[in-house]
Amino acid sequence: MSPDRIACVSLPLFPLAARLRSEPELSREALVVVEGNGNAARVVAGNRLARSAGIKAGLTLPQARALCPKLVARSRDEECERAAQEALLEVAERFSPRVEDTGEGTAFLDVNGIEHHFKGDSPELDLGRSLIAAAEAEGLPARLGIASSKLAARIAAGLPDSPVVVPPGQEAEILAPLPLARLSPEVEIAETLERWGVRSIGDFAKLPQSRVASRLGKSGRDLHATARGIDPRPIIPREPPPTFNEGMNLEWPLLSLEPFLFVGRAALERLCQRLEACGLACVRLELGLRLEPDGHQTRSLDLPAPTRDVKTLLTLVRLDLEARPPGAPVVGFTFTAHPDRPREAQLSLYGPAALSPDKLATTLARLFALLGPGRVGSPRLVDGHRPERFALVEFTPPPPPEVRRAPRPGRGLLAVRVLRPPVALEVLTREPAGTTEDEPPVEVRPVVTAENEKRPKIEGAVRVASGPWGLEDGWWSEAPADRADREYWDVELTTGGIYRLYRDRESGEWFADGIYD
Amino acid sequence: MTYALVTLTIHGMALSLPAPAEPPLSQPSGRGGAALQRVRSALPEEMRARLRSARELDRTLRDEEEEHPPLATAVPALDRLLDGGLPRGHLVELVGGRTSGRFSALLTTLAAATSVGESAALVDLGDALDPAAAVALGVDLERLLWVRPTDLKEALAGTEMLIGAGFALVVLDLGAPPVRGGRGVEAGWLRLARSARAHGSALLVGSPYRVSGTVAAAVLKAGRPRALWQGGEGSPWLLGGLSARIEVEKHRRRLPGQSEGLDLVAADAPPVVKPAAPPAPRTAELPAAEHTWEPLRAVGGG
Repeated sequence: MSPDRIACVSLPLFPLAARLRSEPELSREALVVVEGNGNAARVVAGNRLARSAGIKAGLTLPQARALCPKLVARSRDEECERAAQEALLEVAERFSPRVEDTGEGTAFLDVNGIEHHFKGDSPELDLGRSLIAAAEAEGLPARLGIASSKLAARIAAGLPDSPVVVPPGQEAEILAPLPLARLSPEVEIAETLERWGVRSIGDFAKLPQSRVASRLGKSGRDLHATARGIDPRPIIPREPPPTFNEGMNLEWPLLSLEPFLFVGRAALERLCQRLEACGLACVRLELGLRLEPDGHQTRSLDLPAPTRDVKTLLTLVRLDLEARPPGAPVVGFTFTAHPDRPREAQLSLYGPAALSPDKLATTLARLFALLGPGRVGSPRLVDGHRPERFALVEFTPPPPPEVRRAPRPGRGLLAVRVLRPPVALEVLTREPAGTTEDEPPVEVRPVVTAENEKRPKIEGAVRVASGPWGLEDGWWSEAPADRADREYWDVELTTGGIYRLYRDRESGEWFADGIYD
Repeated sequence: MTYALVTLTIHGMALSLPAPAEPPLSQPSGRGGAALQRVRSALPEEMRARLRSARELDRTLRDEEEEHPPLATAVPALDRLLDGGLPRGHLVELVGGRTSGRFSALLTTLAAATSVGESAALVDLGDALDPAAAVALGVDLERLLWVRPTDLKEALAGTEMLIGAGFALVVLDLGAPPVRGGRGVEAGWLRLARSARAHGSALLVGSPYRVSGTVAAAVLKAGRPRALWQGGEGSPWLLGGLSARIEVEKHRRRLPGQSEGLDLVAADAPPVVKPAAPPAPRTAELPAAEHTWEPLRAVGGG
């Protein structure tokens, strides 16, 4: 049985790599990532320009600035690092179903059987190159090593000329020249080996196994096996996360919307790129805002169909923030996308063309952003008698028929144009109201209100009136808004037009709720 | 002197939308053809392909029609006046005031499209759709996307998005006057027409007055409505239907003024829970002779 093959993909200078992924424009500056506050902040990592100025990890920020006055400093950002780590894992999952998340910009992949996917002379090398290219496309400068154990793969990933493939059985040779500290021995064992004069992993591996076990105990024996390239730790695959996150801690609090949308757009672009790489789309977007001094706010945006359209998502965020401003300066944010499978459709050769599910989802989301909730959807009937009733549901058209068929002949029915809300009217009847039942309208005119100025003007003498038709609905409800007790009339006015009027029996007021058209 | 009819079609100049691919030009013949060739040779290279004789233009349009058959509306008057239905890739405007039958014609067109399995969209600026009435007319609600904008600007933007999504039929109804947002600018309608052309969608605009300017491929006007009432002579009046005429205002192959009748029958609306007692006499305003016909007839003019 061939030994397991494990790949280790790692991001050198992880805090810096994560920052540059979020702010790629900083790559042209001398940049350091620092940890701590004020003058006590210490450099954690610096880019090539900073390093060439003599800046090293561990320097304080004032020391670093003394070496390079134009230095740009950014503090470590957990949000950026978390998102970069997730992006790295997603890249790895494109190449292997078993990926272990070890944090800090490192992941292990099970690459057994990879030769079925990469047919060249050196499939592992091809895999490594492909994975590095995929990571770079996501803004992650990754390095990769492949070996038969996790430790050897990790060390191979740290060597120059990435990707590095360690042939099976040669793990010990790779480890031999490295200092013993790379094995992270216990303090007591490290002191003992120091006294013995053992400096490198190779020196330690040459010692007889039985002697090491008798002098250093079980821990020493395990460490010795590791030094000989034997690492029995298996890969522990991670569970795919239910959501996708992208966010950032901001250097300065943001007070207005435009700068926030600028940084938010970049985060949404990264989020949608990750969703696309996994073949998913966003069906609900949550925005978490960290507010100054210590507030937190979460808002949720439900989408009518799964989408990956950045412009649409950004418009929805803008509309939501305009409608409900956060009320305090924003110091950080996180976008959380709840993924769903995008809609799929089978195209027909002979039937009517089906709508492209992707285009439809994007269009629905854009319409939703343009018009707001409750204004886009597929209409449905609602039980009841009130003509203004309706329900809107998500538009998911069934697939078109496989063969084009002839249209049904029209029924030639007269439709009613519903007036929502009904137009309030003043109506003259032959007898004073309440004198007799069912007194027909003789003349109508609109109630003079500011609202009615923008509504269809319904005015004139009644030529013909037909009715009344009683309508009673919701009588069992205690809420007045749910009850309807109306007396309907169809009237034709001398000024033109046939209208549907009703008198509310409870209030005695008249309304027009439809035009026959 | 030449009397060759030369039509200059300027595509893609007013807007940023891409111009549709032009078919190769044929070699013109005859006296008019020679004149056309002279004009072409005098034009810059990039303009030559945009200059066509009426015959060439007509042939191109006929080829397009053969390739993309029109979308039947199931309104006999509309289908007859539009030579079989709504042309795909074009804007057709149906103008009609209150109680002109315009809204019924729009819904019947939606019913025809959805009944054959096409997805259709209604951009309803007046927020006037009654789903129950739509079902009665035969609309398959599952295939209908209902968009309820609040002003004309939103309606135009939404319509353009729907055309871009690939809907075979997009109906834009501006509602009863006053239209929220006015008439819009002609450039907006031109943009819609070009978008419909680029995506091959049939775009039907229903408006109380003419709004689309010169960009519509056809403009029809629904008018001369007459209400049809049943009853009288002691029995209750019932709305029986509506009779109107649809008239051509602009069409490539028809003369203005040609018209067809539009007859609509009233459905069972509003929902009747219980019929009321026989109403009191209410026909005093009408001449007695006009209340005698049975079972369906017009009372007065519209």
